[in-house]
Amino acid sequence: MQVAPPRTLTELFTGFLAIGARSFGGVLPWAYRTMVEERRWLTQADFAETIGLCQFLPGPNIGNASIVLGKRWFGVSGAVVAFLGLMALPFVFVMALGMLYLEWAPNPAVRAVVTGVGAAGAGLFIGTALKLGKALVRKPAALVLVAGCFLAVGVGRWSLLIVMPLAMVLGIFCARRDWL
Amino acid sequence: MILLDLALSFGVLSLIAFGGMPSVMPEMQRLAVDVKGWTTHAQFIQLFAIAQAAPGPNVLVVSLIGWRAAGLPGAVVALLAVCAPAAVLSWWIADLWERFKDSPWRRAIQRAIAPLVVGLTLAGGYVLCTPATPDWRLWAIAAGAAAAAFARRLHPLWLLAAGGAAGAFLLR
Repeated sequence: MQVAPPRTLTELFTGFLAIGARSFGGVLPWAYRTMVEERRWLTQADFAETIGLCQFLPGPNIGNASIVLGKRWFGVSGAVVAFLGLMALPFVFVMALGMLYLEWAPNPAVRAVVTGVGAAGAGLFIGTALKLGKALVRKPAALVLVAGCFLAVGVGRWSLLIVMPLAMVLGIFCARRDWL
Repeated sequence: MILLDLALSFGVLSLIAFGGMPSVMPEMQRLAVDVKGWTTHAQFIQLFAIAQAAPGPNVLVVSLIGWRAAGLPGAVVALLAVCAPAAVLSWWIADLWERFKDSPWRRAIQRAIAPLVVGLTLAGGYVLCTPATPDWRLWAIAAGAAAAAFARRLHPLWLLAAGGAAGAFLLR
């Protein structure tokens, strides 16, 4: 497959705009579709490698991807333009929805529906975690880490500022011993 | 100075958000509801719902929290704060990434992140539907959505819509 990076900053901006505007229910599939299939900026392998890097880094994965790719193609201005393109429309959408919601929030039926959506969203988190967790069930050290994080942060309500560094050190220790 | 508070609070979250936003959802809830009182627990799950239903990166829930705390400037500051530190880090690491391709440390960190993400994402789901007085109805909706998401490949919007319908019946 022939791939070529975007030629202008405008092209970069509209590409990321298209990703942000369409990405209902998860950005990753739309990022793939826009950059690999439609605009052919990247090969599939290149895309996977970039996402791998961004899952390794802290912070919003796709936000980081916009920085990494923007930088690769146009330096500082590319990173800024890609990030703004990605966030601009979703920011407007979410704020508009938020304001609309505030208008309607006194209505108990609206509150009930929106809370139901939130509970389902929480369920999606749990479903995703269970799917990712399937790969870990044969590794006792991983299960201990999963349980530890869940209990400390979810039930114990400890601050992540304490739990995350601790869990990272423990996790890296276990990984170095080939327990993960 | 709420804007500064937002910037610092979310800026720190940015740097510990290994595995992306779901990992820091419980901390975000603790911060916004328990520590700072920017939203109530009931509002938090509703803001989360709005961000899930809207298109775009799920990180945008921070804009809604910032907005409730300090209006439109709060929304912008919160979003930039949660993105910028990680963005700067990405900027520097991107070049080193290739060089450390075969480093055992890179493998070790990648393997270490996986169980943390699973545990913290579970905690996020649990915290969201566990208000001060536990409500079985929220758990029932979440359990249904989790089971459906786990068992089959459905578009997330269907599950959110089903959750909304269930909420209309159960939560009034």
